[in-house]
Amino acid sequence: MQICGTARFLKRPMQDSIIKGRDVVCTGLSKVFGGRPPVDALCPIDLTFRAGETTALVGPSGCGKSTLLRLIAGLEVPTEGSVRIGGETPAELARRGGIGMAFQDASLLPWRSVHSNVSLALRLARQSGDAGAVDRLIALVGLDGFAGARPAALSGGMRQRAAIARCLVTAPDLVLLDEPFGAVDELTRARLGAELPPLWRDRGTTAILVTHSVREAVTLSDRVIVLSRRPGRVVADITSSGLGAEDIAAGVEAVTDALLNLT
Amino acid sequence: MSARTLLAILSALGALALWQALFMLNSDSLVIAGPVDVARWLTANAGLVGRAARTTVLAALWGFVWGNLAAILMAAFVVVLPRTERFMSFAALVIFCLPLVATGPILRVLFGAGAGPQITLAALAVYFTTYLTLVVGLRAVPQAWSDLARLYGRGPLTELFVIRARASVPYLLAGLQIAAPAAVLGAMVGEFTGAERGLGVLTLRAMRSLDVVATWGIASVAAAVSMLAYLAIGALSRLRGQGPPVLILSAGTQAARVPVWERAAMAVGVTIALLLVWQIAMDAFALSRFFAKRPGDVWAYLAEPAARRTLLTALWETLIWTVPGYVAGLMLGAGLAAVVTLLPGARALVLPLSVTLRSVPIITTAPLLVLALGRGATGTISIVAVMIFFPAFVACLHGLTQTPGQVRDVFASYGAGRLRLLVSAQIPAMLPAFFASARMAVPAALLAVTTTEWLATGRGIGTLMALTASTSDYNMLWSAVVVVALVAVTAYLLVEAAERWVLSRYAAEQVR
Repeated sequence: MQICGTARFLKRPMQDSIIKGRDVVCTGLSKVFGGRPPVDALCPIDLTFRAGETTALVGPSGCGKSTLLRLIAGLEVPTEGSVRIGGETPAELARRGGIGMAFQDASLLPWRSVHSNVSLALRLARQSGDAGAVDRLIALVGLDGFAGARPAALSGGMRQRAAIARCLVTAPDLVLLDEPFGAVDELTRARLGAELPPLWRDRGTTAILVTHSVREAVTLSDRVIVLSRRPGRVVADITSSGLGAEDIAAGVEAVTDALLNLT
Repeated sequence: MSARTLLAILSALGALALWQALFMLNSDSLVIAGPVDVARWLTANAGLVGRAARTTVLAALWGFVWGNLAAILMAAFVVVLPRTERFMSFAALVIFCLPLVATGPILRVLFGAGAGPQITLAALAVYFTTYLTLVVGLRAVPQAWSDLARLYGRGPLTELFVIRARASVPYLLAGLQIAAPAAVLGAMVGEFTGAERGLGVLTLRAMRSLDVVATWGIASVAAAVSMLAYLAIGALSRLRGQGPPVLILSAGTQAARVPVWERAAMAVGVTIALLLVWQIAMDAFALSRFFAKRPGDVWAYLAEPAARRTLLTALWETLIWTVPGYVAGLMLGAGLAAVVTLLPGARALVLPLSVTLRSVPIITTAPLLVLALGRGATGTISIVAVMIFFPAFVACLHGLTQTPGQVRDVFASYGAGRLRLLVSAQIPAMLPAFFASARMAVPAALLAVTTTEWLATGRGIGTLMALTASTSDYNMLWSAVVVVALVAVTAYLLVEAAERWVLSRYAAEQVR
């Protein structure tokens, strides 16, 4: 089933001139994990994530959302097919710090301060960055005053803010978010969902968000892709950009219907 | 003063009081010396013991440094190149299974005078546990951390240096803590087998002159040095704000299941590689064939029926005392751990004392046990059992606490008693720790029995090694080394196979 919603841009529209992101083109992309028995994680998928858009991936647990994200990041080798990000392979883009990724549990290194965790990404990407860039980004995510703090001294929401700062510090062309707000309480989740996405949306960065929350998928993204049960394949592609309050409810209903139709 | 320090001081005073009470009850016996007499002897001989302790500690320290350095490099190597792990781990095991008592005299001939053999034996005694611990530690990082390096196109070396190395420090410290007393043990075994100075030499002298007070005095110093080193590294890891991680080196965490033929092929490959290294090392240094035997010499010697008979008879004599001691030590360790778990509050009291006593290199107190229990079966079996008891007891106590809190809650919600919880939940959760200690106990048991035979009993393969070392029968000595190492490796692999079989049925999540 292919559902296509209507694009009504009430959220901040992206202008071509400021689009920094790149198209992500997946061609015949599939993944089988070896083992006894082998696990078929993803059906061959042909999918394009458009430059500057935020796309949400939703689907049942184990349907291959995170696998798709890891394939795009170059963290897994596809069994078949390929990924091209603005014509480059993930490995080529990664070497320049062109991909930023945030994980469910923040994954900050506990022995480093917030500042040191954020600047680690610059070091790994072999970028010099100006001295104030890290501090500015830390302030931008609302952590000014906590640059010297260790992750253990921060709340879950603050750790996620630091993780988003680390993800963005290399000014990536592509941002991958694997349930970044999944481990925090509902209120914090709503606050992070309102405050952080503009950081990459305003830069026109292409973003792919994996989430279990249908509402989050609809409100934070321009497009929602629904994956089937394992092995994952695309069963719905719903435009959610610029929806007003009433349309958001309709968008949530459309995505929920698509998910319910899987059973 | 913290509760922990107070408990430690009270435990130490309690141990001293118990020692004095035992002495007063047995003051007529010629095997036990009281702490007061021992303290007097140590004061009177402070200079002599101090110099000997310095020699032993220096050898142990250098062995500790070299052995752990080798372990760190090997662990880093297998983490960067995971395909080499099985090969490296098997080679490390074979070298670890070389009987230290017989390796000592061979090293003595190769090194000549000096501390070389003691340092090498100390290094051999420490590297394996540090290697296993560190491999677990380097691998124990969350996937997202290692993804971070790969996300920016960086390879396994960056991942190792920037993320894994720092994350594995608690594991490294836990490994170093176990290694510290093992280094003292290695150095002292080296001294037993022909050094000029050191605590091991003083021990031999005291034993031969039946000086009970001196034997107890030197053993006390060796035990105190080991405990201090153990506690110092423990304190260092707590300074970092966290205690050492609970380490259960299950077979399942070391290698994925692989077909039997592949394991057999790998074992043959490692054996050939080690034989080649042995041959090449001997040839490269142009060592005399008289004492530096090559693989071919050992093979030819073992082909002689008379030699084979002598060796196998001695081996049989050794094994019939090792196996009961091994089984008794393990069963006592596991059994007492279960009993302690059943008694409310007992664990908190017993665990710190046992962890500290585990750090005493039991083999350095072997002369005392021989004095107390005689040179026959009882003495030898007891030494093996005591050598194995403490590590097994501590591992099983840790293992028994691995039952998840929610599982305990389920039992509690049905009003199940402690015994039911122990049998149905805690013992299955203990199995990985039990088997890990059973596996690691194999080389320890053989070390205990061969050292005791070397020092005292007058039978078994340890005695054969001592005799052949003193009569320069290097063919027999090298052959004995090879045969004991083979037995140790085979027994280790058999226990590992049993471990996998049991865990796959009762703790499937432990076998990856």
